[in-house]
Amino acid sequence: MEVDSPEQLQRKQSTYLSFDENFEIQKEVYRGQQYSQIYFARLHCMRALLYSLVPNWKSHLPVCTVLGLEEGKECIIVGTLYKHMKLKPCILDEYSKERSVAPLVKPHNFIHQDDYLVLEDESGRVKLGGTVLSPSVYVTGVVIALHGKETSAGAFFVEDVLEAGLPPQIERQLKSREDKYVVFVSGLSIGSSSSNPLLFQLLVDHITGHLGDEEEQGLAAEIVHLVIAGNSVEISRGLLNGQNLASKDQSRLSEPFKELDIQLTQIAASLPLDIMPGSSDPANFSLPQQPLNRCLFPGSATYNTFRSCTNPHCFELDNIRFLGTSGQNIDDLTKYSEAKDKLDFLESTLRWRHLAPTTPNTLGCYPFTDRDPFLIDSCPDVYFVGNQEKYETRLVKGSEGQSVRLICIPRFCETGVAVVVNMRNLECHALTFGMQFSS
Amino acid sequence: MATPAKNIEGFYKQKKSNTSKSKSTKHAAATSSSSIAQPPALVSQGGSLDLKDDFDEEEQVLRQFDMNMAFGPCIGIPRLDRWERAQAMGLNPPKEIESILKRCKVKPQSLFDGRI
Repeated sequence: MEVDSPEQLQRKQSTYLSFDENFEIQKEVYRGQQYSQIYFARLHCMRALLYSLVPNWKSHLPVCTVLGLEEGKECIIVGTLYKHMKLKPCILDEYSKERSVAPLVKPHNFIHQDDYLVLEDESGRVKLGGTVLSPSVYVTGVVIALHGKETSAGAFFVEDVLEAGLPPQIERQLKSREDKYVVFVSGLSIGSSSSNPLLFQLLVDHITGHLGDEEEQGLAAEIVHLVIAGNSVEISRGLLNGQNLASKDQSRLSEPFKELDIQLTQIAASLPLDIMPGSSDPANFSLPQQPLNRCLFPGSATYNTFRSCTNPHCFELDNIRFLGTSGQNIDDLTKYSEAKDKLDFLESTLRWRHLAPTTPNTLGCYPFTDRDPFLIDSCPDVYFVGNQEKYETRLVKGSEGQSVRLICIPRFCETGVAVVVNMRNLECHALTFGMQFSS
Repeated sequence: MATPAKNIEGFYKQKKSNTSKSKSTKHAAATSSSSIAQPPALVSQGGSLDLKDDFDEEEQVLRQFDMNMAFGPCIGIPRLDRWERAQAMGLNPPKEIESILKRCKVKPQSLFDGRI
């Protein structure tokens, strides 16, 4: 019996293009600017876009600025939404003498039925009334067009809303492709007490083809790329309390990285991988997070298949566009608005054409002056978010024939689930790893 | 105690175009007879009294550019960068502003610089 079959399995390959230059901040210079600059850039780009969409929506109505509103005159205004939230934590609460309004226990979601929306542009702001616009669905920072009229009370009564909608998508030739898979995983949390190293090792072994018979290895050979969407390590909080670490504790800081590097070296030796920073990784706090330093990965960074990427991350594989984040944008939307599920939040960010509309209001962000890098110009084919509670996916169709696969990637340390996308038809399934000891 | 009436014209600055001011302390008032210290807003960097700006025509033109909301907020961004951003966004800022900013010895920052 031959031990080594003469035919070796070859892993499939695909062409890779990165679009992360938009999210890099090395060239930015901080000159004391405030966040008004990024709001101006956002409003300018989105308003130009909405003005071009308004004639198809309601061409008979005039468009005016907030200051140009006249009482009773029906018109269309475009501006940035601001949501006034009663329960939103405010630094001034600490100084107020009466503490009756602020609850002692902070809720996870700050929605209240008394929240109201305000529309702002450079000329002024106006409170929004009417029942068409539900404040719980929207967040501060979204740019939309509204049809309505000013009431005698000085508010703007909304009759209809126009969101920017899904951005235009470049058509992909999907039919003549072969099966090629991309694996997404997030929330490895190496170094935390709840992460099981065996599960990640099983994942690595499966992807690199060290597990299973020929059929399973054949399937693994069709995996062309791995994306790690944030929160790969977790440093225990006790080590980061600001006190000097004893020398015996200092090694505990670097152990999670050593463990992660060992695993990533095994992966990088076998297929291309992208690693994105997350909220618990040693990268900058505000979005866009910059790539993790290659010094953290002395073993795997020597491979040219290893890529440290920004968060958000945008890339193309065989002309299929992938866009996604490590979860901070969707988590922030969860705190300040409500929807049936996380996929609805994902879809909303696409319809608003903005990855993270709550930046810089409640989510940290770099104060760009001349552009807003989170604006989505071109519709991705696969849009993912990492570090969610469970695996969810949906195919969204746009009004101009766009088609996007939305994916919520669950935290691997809690669920043992990775997500696999087939680039041929954008179908998606879960890869679950578990340990069941049957007695 | 209120200043005596004859010092009122001394309190408000007068439109003299070529009074040369010595760079003395803040308490040396714009006109000699006021006993009230000059409000800090009038003192710009370097300690010199910032009175000449009102008469400098180019500074006036630049301040109008600063105040124009169509080109975005002016705080925290140098004037030339703001002009170039407006140009890149297709807002058609007046060309003369660019020539003034590149040519003359004018303040690179907006009028609010150092005051807010």
